[in-house]
Amino acid sequence: MEKTLDARGLKCPMPIAKAKKELESLGAEDVLKVLATDKGSVLDMQGWAKANKRINLIKQETETDESGREIYIHYLARLS
Amino acid sequence: MADSTEITPRELFERLVTRGEAPPILDVRNEDEFAAWKIEGTRPLAYLNVPYFGFIDEPEQSTERVAQAGDTWIGVCAKGDSSAFVTEILREHGMRAVNLLGGMAAWGNLHVPVRVDDRRVDDTRGSELWQINRYGKGCLSYVILAGGQAIVVDASRHLDVYETFVRERGATLVQVLDTHVHADHLSGGADLARRAGAPFFVAAGEGVELRRDVRPLADGTELTLGARDGAAAVTVRVIATPGHTPGSTCYLVDGRWLLSGDTLFVSGIGRPDLGGQVEAWGGALFRTLHHGPLGRLPDDVVVLPAHFALPAELDRRGVVERRLGDIRVASPEMQLPTEAAFVEAMRRAVKAPPEVYGKIVAANLSPAEVPAEQASEWELGKNQCAASLPAGARG
Repeated sequence: MEKTLDARGLKCPMPIAKAKKELESLGAEDVLKVLATDKGSVLDMQGWAKANKRINLIKQETETDESGREIYIHYLARLS
Repeated sequence: MADSTEITPRELFERLVTRGEAPPILDVRNEDEFAAWKIEGTRPLAYLNVPYFGFIDEPEQSTERVAQAGDTWIGVCAKGDSSAFVTEILREHGMRAVNLLGGMAAWGNLHVPVRVDDRRVDDTRGSELWQINRYGKGCLSYVILAGGQAIVVDASRHLDVYETFVRERGATLVQVLDTHVHADHLSGGADLARRAGAPFFVAAGEGVELRRDVRPLADGTELTLGARDGAAAVTVRVIATPGHTPGSTCYLVDGRWLLSGDTLFVSGIGRPDLGGQVEAWGGALFRTLHHGPLGRLPDDVVVLPAHFALPAELDRRGVVERRLGDIRVASPEMQLPTEAAFVEAMRRAVKAPPEVYGKIVAANLSPAEVPAEQASEWELGKNQCAASLPAGARG
């Protein structure tokens, strides 16, 4: 199952704080897709996954939405 | 201070620079960002780097780690939001923790005006020379005032800094100059000039001659400021100083202050490798430093550069300046005896500039506007415009 967390427009620390909460409710097979507009989230997610051995940062992507805004997409899963 | 839980960048500057204090810094950005760029004081600071996500995952352990290291902190992050979250947790645990408002982004945008010529010359003509210190980035710009007129040199994109300053001094902006096309920060020169209805000058040779809003400036030109009754109050002489860039220019104010751009710094010289042509630009820089009009300037001329690298370069008044003669003696780069030796040393010192420098140069050459958020992101970090010889090559 893939669940999407919309953290667009949120400033840090909220994207990670919300992602952590969401991941706790997901199973080990599930993937959490986090949408963020804060560019800082790219390095922060990497740092978080490095520091927290229970978080797996599967991949990161950047897309541009219809208004030209960059959206940073992070795919996360829980490591048991 | 508005609130004991927060500190503004200006208040932090006062503590670090004006009062020479050394408050411990808790930086909650991730390790790479902290390693690349941090708050610096005129005295060495104690730092603790605990990324904010540690306070989300394991608040008790992260808080304990901070408490072990001390009970008084200034919390810093990229934009000031995560550090607000962390310092609140620390205060709940009885620590004295204040948050730097706006984080490193605001820190890098703080501009502090400092009078350069204060109390040192006969000031009866009413002229003033101010250094505008963008401390977090190590960028310096200048305002020259005389007879109700102002010239701004090397303006940043924060136009309100200059507009407010000039207005508060009761002056009108009449000319805007850049010493060269900057690579580390976006120039505000063209926009500042347009809004004031003043001309914007950059030397020919920088590639800006294609822009209709930039006027080329020829070597030897003399600009005058505050002229009254046929007498010039302040003269600014244009000195072509190719090397850091092909069109780099220094401005000699009243024959005694040299606004040296990135050609000369108080602790060295500007790097000639940013254009990827270290042989050609390095050779030009050697000839600029030792021959030509700059080489002939007297030792007593005071050098006022466009950057500093270390807070130690600020003197007690907070001014970054040094006698030209002292730089000639102290800079290892200036001791290299021949053009060949100089170019070889510069070639060996070549290092890749930050990737974003190419984008900044292109933006400074173009009349197109850069959105504020994009500009802010490009400008993160300290300037890397000085040449630095490998350790072994230093005296």
